[in-house]
Amino acid sequence: MELLQKLTILSDSAKYDVACTSSGLDRAGRHGSMGSCTAPGICHTFASDGRCVSLLKVLLSNVCAYDCCYCVNRRSNDVPRASFTPRELADLTLQFYQRNYIEGLFLSSAVQLNPDHTTERMVETLRILRQEYHFRGYIHAKAIPGASPELVEQLGLLADRMSVNIELPSERSLNLLCPDKGRKAILTPMGQIAARTAQSREEMQLYRRAPAFAPAGQSTQMIVGATPESDRQILRLSEGLYHKYSLKRVFYSAYIPVTEDRRLPAADTKPPLLREHRLYQADWLLRFYNFTASEILTEEEPNFNPYLDPKCNWAIQHYGMFPVDVNTAPKEWLLRVPGIGPKSALRILSARRQAQLDLEGLRRIGVVLKRAQYFICCKGYGGSRSPKRETVVRALLDPMAFNAGCEQLSLFSAPQVQQLAGSGLPPQIAGRMVQEEVVARYAQKM
Amino acid sequence: MIYRYDGSYPGFLCCVFESFVRKALPLAIEGPETAQLSFFDGRDIPTEANKAARVEASLAPVLGVRAEELVHYAFLSGRPEKELLILRFLHMAFARGRGAAWDYAHPDAAPVLDLEKAVRGEAHLLTGFVRFQVADGMLGAVIRPKNYVLPLLRPHFCGRYPDKDFLIADLTHRTALVYQGGTADYAELPPDFALPPPDAEEAEYQALWKRFYQTIGIRERYNPTVRRTHCPKRYWACMTELQDER
Repeated sequence: MELLQKLTILSDSAKYDVACTSSGLDRAGRHGSMGSCTAPGICHTFASDGRCVSLLKVLLSNVCAYDCCYCVNRRSNDVPRASFTPRELADLTLQFYQRNYIEGLFLSSAVQLNPDHTTERMVETLRILRQEYHFRGYIHAKAIPGASPELVEQLGLLADRMSVNIELPSERSLNLLCPDKGRKAILTPMGQIAARTAQSREEMQLYRRAPAFAPAGQSTQMIVGATPESDRQILRLSEGLYHKYSLKRVFYSAYIPVTEDRRLPAADTKPPLLREHRLYQADWLLRFYNFTASEILTEEEPNFNPYLDPKCNWAIQHYGMFPVDVNTAPKEWLLRVPGIGPKSALRILSARRQAQLDLEGLRRIGVVLKRAQYFICCKGYGGSRSPKRETVVRALLDPMAFNAGCEQLSLFSAPQVQQLAGSGLPPQIAGRMVQEEVVARYAQKM
Repeated sequence: MIYRYDGSYPGFLCCVFESFVRKALPLAIEGPETAQLSFFDGRDIPTEANKAARVEASLAPVLGVRAEELVHYAFLSGRPEKELLILRFLHMAFARGRGAAWDYAHPDAAPVLDLEKAVRGEAHLLTGFVRFQVADGMLGAVIRPKNYVLPLLRPHFCGRYPDKDFLIADLTHRTALVYQGGTADYAELPPDFALPPPDAEEAEYQALWKRFYQTIGIRERYNPTVRRTHCPKRYWACMTELQDER
């Protein structure tokens, strides 16, 4: 088979994998080899769906022994099959890399024969890249659940980041939808990788030449919307994963129907993009804003508010705890203010050591006063004087949920807007109608 | 009063010198590209190495290394009013001392910090968006940045391809970064500069890359707005996979 055809088949099979980041590791270049890594990561292009393309994301093979019902590559699906040889893929990676198309390789694979055989072929690919071609760029390798610990170890010594897909948010769903993978088969390598990364980090502090095991950490991903879990369940799972396995990232992917199956949502279901977006927003709150999952979603409200991002939602529910004095408040409190993010919080801390901050200064710093003005006070501004609650709510609402600025119905609009638009109303009018209703409802609740 | 200078960094430092000697801010500072006929009183500022060196040498000790770095990066900006903004900042900073570069809220510091952010931002984007072609074993790329980012791209690419010869041509500023035999240098671009047309092997890899790019996007999630915000259209002309999409 021609290389072009293989690449097409194997990147098409890999495209539903979410993670394409190249972050978490600084590694300078060196004479006699090619490549380097930078900790923030580099995006090399953006695909037509707006996602960053950083790594050559392909499967080594899409010939799969498993039959997970949500997956395009499942055994029973009638799709063209192909496999790279390890050397073919290593060569292609190097050629793309020297043209600066990519930051490195994202290597995953369908389970060819069995997990061990698959992993051996992955190890061989990475060995050629690292040891024969002296490649120092980024490599993300996917651990195949069920592979022997020795092979996972070899993989981790060659890769920079590893990931094991947790696939679905609960064990019940996993057993239902992918009968070949067990929860234990997924969590075992995850635990092994976490322990080995921590161990190698310690060793590297003791002796310089200690081998690095997955120095950029590990990540995972799960599918959202194929199974009935609540947002709260998902977020608590992520929180647990961050703590227990020191994951760098948890990725969420809105379920896109690739098959008809009575265990799955109907094939004409739209991918729940707004829900996925809210999950990422909440994920950021966990990682950069010192929020806990139980603060973001409560037992009474286990699902995200479609109209407000989770931080604004929290701020409205805790309106009584504001305003925050920007000139004295600690960083944790600055981060709770809608319109102040980690960057502007750091700048505020730095700038207020120089001089007392006023509204103009905050604007220059980059604080979004449209939202922040109702939650802060500063020099020359004692806080917004008893604003109408409707005004506050209106300032915080997420315009995206109401189809703002789009002629056509956006996939990101709230379910209620989609419903109204589906009944024949122009999307913009539907958006405005829902917005008025929501403003009144939340103002009353405040 | 309007200052006119030769557009170089030492030339700009001489404008700074002049302004501090006269204890006054000019109305504008014009380089060779931005110069225009005007009714205002103009003054040609000659570039003198000793004056430039005196100003440069005072930056780090008096204002701190961060302020020095800030001035250096901000000067790489492509915005026409950058000189005046930096000069304003320097007047404020020499009056205030070391804290100036940290005062994100100050009306004279914020615009210069914005210049720096734009320069660093564009350089970071280009570390990803530069597209090399292979011809005769050498890598060649063309860019059209708004800011003069070659000095920032230099350490990145020299570190990444330490044993490859390469060239990055900045068409906006008519300058090339040339890395050959382990040393990097800048060169002026000849007016008729163009990369050689791709040979068969190069064309094959370009085709492979384009195919990969077209395949990796998920149709059900098509989102041109997000793509444009992350990868503005002005970069597309120099990017292999996006050239045809314009």
